[in-house]
Amino acid sequence: MNRQIPLIVCFSFGLVMFLQYFSNHTISRSVNLAILDYWQIIFAFTLIIGVVSFIKVNLTKISRRIDRPYLIVGLLGMISMPFMALIWGIKADSPFMWMFENVQAPMASTVFALLAFFVASASFRGFRARSLQASILLGAALIILLSRSNLPLPYTEHLSELADWIRNYPSMTARRAILIGIGLGSLTTSLRVILGIERTWLGGER
Amino acid sequence: MQILPRHYVFLGLFLLIGITMALDISVDVKVSPYTKKMHAYIDSLPEGSTLIISFDHEASSLPEIRPIALAMLRHSFQKNFKLIGVSLYPEGTLIGYRLMKNIAKEYDKTYGDDFVYLGFRPQYIAAILAMGESIESTYPQDYLGNDYNSIPMLSNIQNYDDIEAVISIADGSLTTHWIEYGGQFNIKILGAVTAAMVTTYDPYLSSNQMTAMIGGLRGAAEYEKLLGMKGGGSRGMLAQSAAHLYIIFLVILGNIFYFRSRKKGGKS
Repeated sequence: MNRQIPLIVCFSFGLVMFLQYFSNHTISRSVNLAILDYWQIIFAFTLIIGVVSFIKVNLTKISRRIDRPYLIVGLLGMISMPFMALIWGIKADSPFMWMFENVQAPMASTVFALLAFFVASASFRGFRARSLQASILLGAALIILLSRSNLPLPYTEHLSELADWIRNYPSMTARRAILIGIGLGSLTTSLRVILGIERTWLGGER
Repeated sequence: MQILPRHYVFLGLFLLIGITMALDISVDVKVSPYTKKMHAYIDSLPEGSTLIISFDHEASSLPEIRPIALAMLRHSFQKNFKLIGVSLYPEGTLIGYRLMKNIAKEYDKTYGDDFVYLGFRPQYIAAILAMGESIESTYPQDYLGNDYNSIPMLSNIQNYDDIEAVISIADGSLTTHWIEYGGQFNIKILGAVTAAMVTTYDPYLSSNQMTAMIGGLRGAAEYEKLLGMKGGGSRGMLAQSAAHLYIIFLVILGNIFYFRSRKKGGKS
């Protein structure tokens, strides 16, 4: 019974959402809107699980004295930001906005910018013409890089055309194949879940 | 790697970007057909059209996303469009609001009459689908807490039928959701994305599921040129071009060392 009720709920909602897609009736539209509302509410609750889990994991590690200073900073950040928002609001000159603009945004950008250094290092160490396939990849990458730079090179026009050709044919062909594969995979997985064939989401055996 | 230690590679890139950014030189770029298409589409919309601008990005991509977002907002305000700002990422919410408010000030636009900011809604797929049914039910209040019905600009806006297009300013795959779920309501989707995401959206662009797209700092620089203004895009092009050249130089150097060591029979 513990497993049958979730399976019935899953099947019913799957069927309703599938059928309502083909109907423009007022009842169908309002059912759709209500379900979408509940979807957002349920998602908001998952954020609470994330917060609780973050606190629990960090407190456990702090008690075990693993990376203590970093974990304390992380916890303080997570606790202080909502408090600042609740006490002073999130208007332009509020402490919350100051923290967001002067701490969070620069730190996030810094971490992201570090990628450039890893790319530079990896391009020297790993990007080598070891085989025909690797050579083709290397050639395509160099053409795209050169075409996206703004250099006063001869044949720039042809280089851009060649780069666009790589984007529009080999790259897009591979991308389309992946997208079609993802689409078919999603379709079959959804059907398996709705029909109760796939039951791993219940947390037990198949 | 013993020949060129890693910290020299890092230092070289740091100096190169630091110097080129400090020079503050705007570089002239050749406008690509992709950017021309985006500009032409926005330019073709009648004055007073209502557009949704969705800030679907995080703070980490701000240096690249900001020039793109500014170019989009400036063009939209120049054309006297009515703009509805939303965000499907929590981090993009504050950034989007600040950008919209600052650019609106440049063009003397009034909140509530010319633009409005609805803010963030959790679960982007549900939010996109729900707005297709009713924007008011999805956002009963705007970001500042005003009731939907009290905002003059929104009095005639029910759902996507009253919206001309959505501009998704994204650093990830969120524009895909606008295309896949927003697209079923026949709304035009425009993408303003980071350079790394451009090839992800090429199939949608080629199948016209996405109307137009600009990508990366280069796209921003091209758009700024079409708008006849200098901005973060054109200022960053020198640093980006220099970094690209540096990467190319490193790839070639790495391969020279690799082939030399292979010739000698050693390991690379």
